[in-house]
This record gives sequence, C-alpha cells and structure tokens, in this order.
Amino acid sequence: MSMIRRLLALDGVNVICHFRDDGYLIEGYGLMSHNDMGRLAQFARDYRRIAQGNADQLAMFSGMRGWTPPHGWIIRGVTQSLCGVANLVCVVDSTGAPLNEILLELREVSHW
Amino acid sequence: MTTLDDLMKLPGAMAAFEFRGSGEVLEQRIAYPDRINESTLDLLAHMCAANLSIATMQARGWEKVTGMEGFYPIQEFTLIGFDWSVVVSGLQREHYKQAGKFSLPPFMGVVLANESADYEAAFGILERKEPVP
Repeated sequence: MSMIRRLLALDGVNVICHFRDDGYLIEGYGLMSHNDMGRLAQFARDYRRIAQGNADQLAMFSGMRGWTPPHGWIIRGVTQSLCGVANLVCVVDSTGAPLNEILLELREVSHW
Repeated sequence: MTTLDDLMKLPGAMAAFEFRGSGEVLEQRIAYPDRINESTLDLLAHMCAANLSIATMQARGWEKVTGMEGFYPIQEFTLIGFDWSVVVSGLQREHYKQAGKFSLPPFMGVVLANESADYEAAFGILERKEPVP
C-alpha cells in the first residue's frame, strides 16, 4: 500500500497527491478525477514556488531568520482547503478536519 | 478584549496584526520585539495581502476549470516557514460583504512559533463570528 494513501484515513482528508519537482503527478488518491489530480499537482508545485519566493524575499528584505526554507502552506476556502508540504498536497474539509495532525502526517510522509 | 489580544494568547504567538487589503498594517501587538519588529510585520502584511489575492485568483480559476466548489472566497492563508508561521484571515470581511456593507473591517493575522503552533486554535479565533453592526 502506498505510504501517502494512509493520509486518507484521517478525518476530513478528501484527496492526497504526490508530485515530482516539475509538477508531474506521481500518485494520487481520493475523491477527484485523475485529470483534476494532475491539475492539482501542477497547481501545488506552482504555489510551492510562489510561497518559497515570498519567504525568500521576506527574509532578504527584513533580515529576519526562520522563514526559509518554508515547510508548507494552507489555503482555506469556504468548505474545502488545500494543504501543501514539500511535494505533497491534499484537499481537506475546512471544518472538522484535524489540521494540526494532518500537517504533522504530511511532514512525516514527505520525508519518506 | 479584542481579537488581536486573543490571538496573542495562542501558544507560541509572536505577533498579531490587522492590515488593509493593500497591505498596510493598521494595528499590531508584538510579544518579542527583539525577534520581530514593526518593519518586518509591515513586509509580512504586504506579503500576506499579495498571497490572499493570488489564492483568490487561483480559487476562482480552479472552480471554473474543474467545476468543483467550496474554495472561493478564500478565507485564510497560512505560510509555514522554517521556524515561524503566519496565519491571516479575511473572513470577517466576507461576513460584512454578505450583510451588504461597503465599509469592510481589516484583515487579521497572527505570527506563531512552529514548535508550539496550534493552527486549529488560530483558525478558531479568526473564524469567530463577530456581529455585523
């Protein structure tokens, strides 16, 4: 069984995707078509680069250490949220999902 | 007790702030001025304003292309840095918009130390429904 698939066992996790550095979808599981998972992987890769760039510039302009390299990001919508850590992204319910636990799991799985 | 003061009670809270959609800080609380100062908070608020706008554009595009719903409007954005995180919210503004108000309250945010950050608690405070006057 895929290591990332276990994240689907957490409450509120609807989709989990693992992508390459170029945004190509390696594997994805959950309530989403394969085509949309491919789009999600590309989006997550792009957003990761945006977050990285912003953190780099914040650190450079402010001189404050501790922002880079960033560990991840969360975009929280009305009912659905996106969480990205390294080359993983998941779609979770905005309410009721154990976000702290999900982030810890994402971080652990991203090291495998 | 204001929301900013409540945010400062979160574990690992380093600063809490209110800012305009254009990024200017309106009000702030700083717990450790030797680690994060007003100038850094100003840059951070501008970065968060930019990210909320980018995420909003992406949510709109995503919903249009995929037919999925529930992403737009964006309520919060979080950047988890190496040691620090920032969580910002525009949810109160959405409540005002839904109530037909043209004058909107500011965005709110909190900076947390990752080692003790409780993101669910931060969202809990930021999503608290305040009465719309």
